[in-house]
Amino acid sequence: MGSIDAALKPRLRLRTRAEYAGWIFSILAGIGILTSVLTNPNFKWHVVGKYFFAESILRGLMLTIFLTVASMALGTLLGLALAVMRSSHVKPVSIAAGLYITLFRGTPVLVQLIFWFNISALYPDLRIGIPFTDIGMAVDTNAIMGPITAALVGLTLNEAAYMAEIIRGGFSSVGKGQIEAADSLGMSAGTRMRKVIIPQAMPSIIPATGNQVIGMFKGTSLVSVLGVAELLQSAQLIYARTYETIPLLIVASLWYLVMTLLLSYPQSKLEQKYSRATSRLPRKAKPVVLTDPEGAAR
Amino acid sequence: MSHDGTIVAQKIRKSFGPKTVLKDINLEIASGEICCIIGPSGSGKSTILRCINGLETVDSGVLKVNGEDFGYYETATAYHALPPKKLAEQRTRVGMVFQSFNLFPNMTAHENVMSGPVLVKHADKKQSAKRAHELLASVGLAGFGDYYPAQLSGGQQQRVAIARSLAMDPEIMLFDEPTSALDPEKVGEVLAVMKDLAKKGMTMVVVTHEMGFAREVADSLVFMDDGYIIERGDAREVLSNPQEPRTRSFLEKVL
Repeated sequence: MGSIDAALKPRLRLRTRAEYAGWIFSILAGIGILTSVLTNPNFKWHVVGKYFFAESILRGLMLTIFLTVASMALGTLLGLALAVMRSSHVKPVSIAAGLYITLFRGTPVLVQLIFWFNISALYPDLRIGIPFTDIGMAVDTNAIMGPITAALVGLTLNEAAYMAEIIRGGFSSVGKGQIEAADSLGMSAGTRMRKVIIPQAMPSIIPATGNQVIGMFKGTSLVSVLGVAELLQSAQLIYARTYETIPLLIVASLWYLVMTLLLSYPQSKLEQKYSRATSRLPRKAKPVVLTDPEGAAR
Repeated sequence: MSHDGTIVAQKIRKSFGPKTVLKDINLEIASGEICCIIGPSGSGKSTILRCINGLETVDSGVLKVNGEDFGYYETATAYHALPPKKLAEQRTRVGMVFQSFNLFPNMTAHENVMSGPVLVKHADKKQSAKRAHELLASVGLAGFGDYYPAQLSGGQQQRVAIARSLAMDPEIMLFDEPTSALDPEKVGEVLAVMKDLAKKGMTMVVVTHEMGFAREVADSLVFMDDGYIIERGDAREVLSNPQEPRTRSFLEKVL
């Protein structure tokens, strides 16, 4: 039976009826959605095109990027400090960090942002000085806490709580034996943290941090409630004037999408870099010798 | 710091919660002595090693390592814990080799061996690198410096771990079941390195199940059971003619 040698015949995988049905359904649905999006005049794609590179939109985008970078950087630093405090053996230090994390993770970031914007209602002026003395200085809170500062403070403090938990999770993924090895060499706690724990915690911290950056990028849209002209607020300012609500929301959404896609590239690069320790290839790409001539001679 | 290499334990007690793992441990180890500790699992033999290295603290009793009270200083009424810096300094004089190697996976073999001198003693990098090279060669791993632990076999990793401890120039080396996690064919290469070391006059305390090693290399043998030292004496003598019935029944099972 058949003209091909049986040993050379290709082996075909099973295709079920569900698979064919799935293909047909997805293609039909795809065509349907695409036609609808492209032919519905209310999408006003020409308006999307017109505003996509509009100056105020690009300025909003820059501010969004600035807020993301600044609050992520500051939030990560503060989060690292909190994570170290949280893992401390000194009880009050650990409890203080725990309270901070509970408070900031337990309340909505939108509420926190509005709170910081209105902080002057609690503290009309800020003083720096030694308690119970006249030494120090005071400034009007409203002079410092503008919308952008409030946004930065709110986003940073909130992010720090999440980063603290991510970093602490990374710390605890490092084996107990590693800590014992470092201790038995007489390493100080600081050296142990920098040279042993953090490098090994990185592979589990990096992917989670990448998600946080992406989340933060979109999360900055919340600060539009403070009147900060970031990407979303810039779009809102335009459609408040022109009533072209949907096209401008599409403009903003497309930018969020583009930036998110761009951000996932460095994230995967960083993941590769930090997985080096577990990779099987030597750093200087020597061929792996599986037998050990000198050891075998022993 | 003067060379000492002695260990003195008097009436050591240690509990983990309700479980007392060391009950009245008295042990003296002389400088240059090779002492093997054997006994059933849970007898407290690993805990003794971990106390000598400060990975665990003793609850009561006297523990002197290299002639100094270890981890504590004595006053008229109490033992006070030493500040971390002092404890770290004492620890640099006691090397520890673990059952599971515990090499730093983020560093190459060479960097692992250098880690102690460079990161702890802040020694000159060039000299430490040269020394690390020599140490790797001395454990039969010349040319393996650029490999990460994950690329080495268990026996090779354990030899790197021994080199890493030796790089600190300790007076005492502790081995916590150094060959228990190894394939049987790799056990020999690690024991060979330890035999070399024994010849050089290092004080060594070895928790092991390798009776052959104990017979061949050890000066003294300690048999532990249930938190007590049951028997201690010349290694070959205890192995061939144990005095205590518990030692005898244990040796009958393992030999």
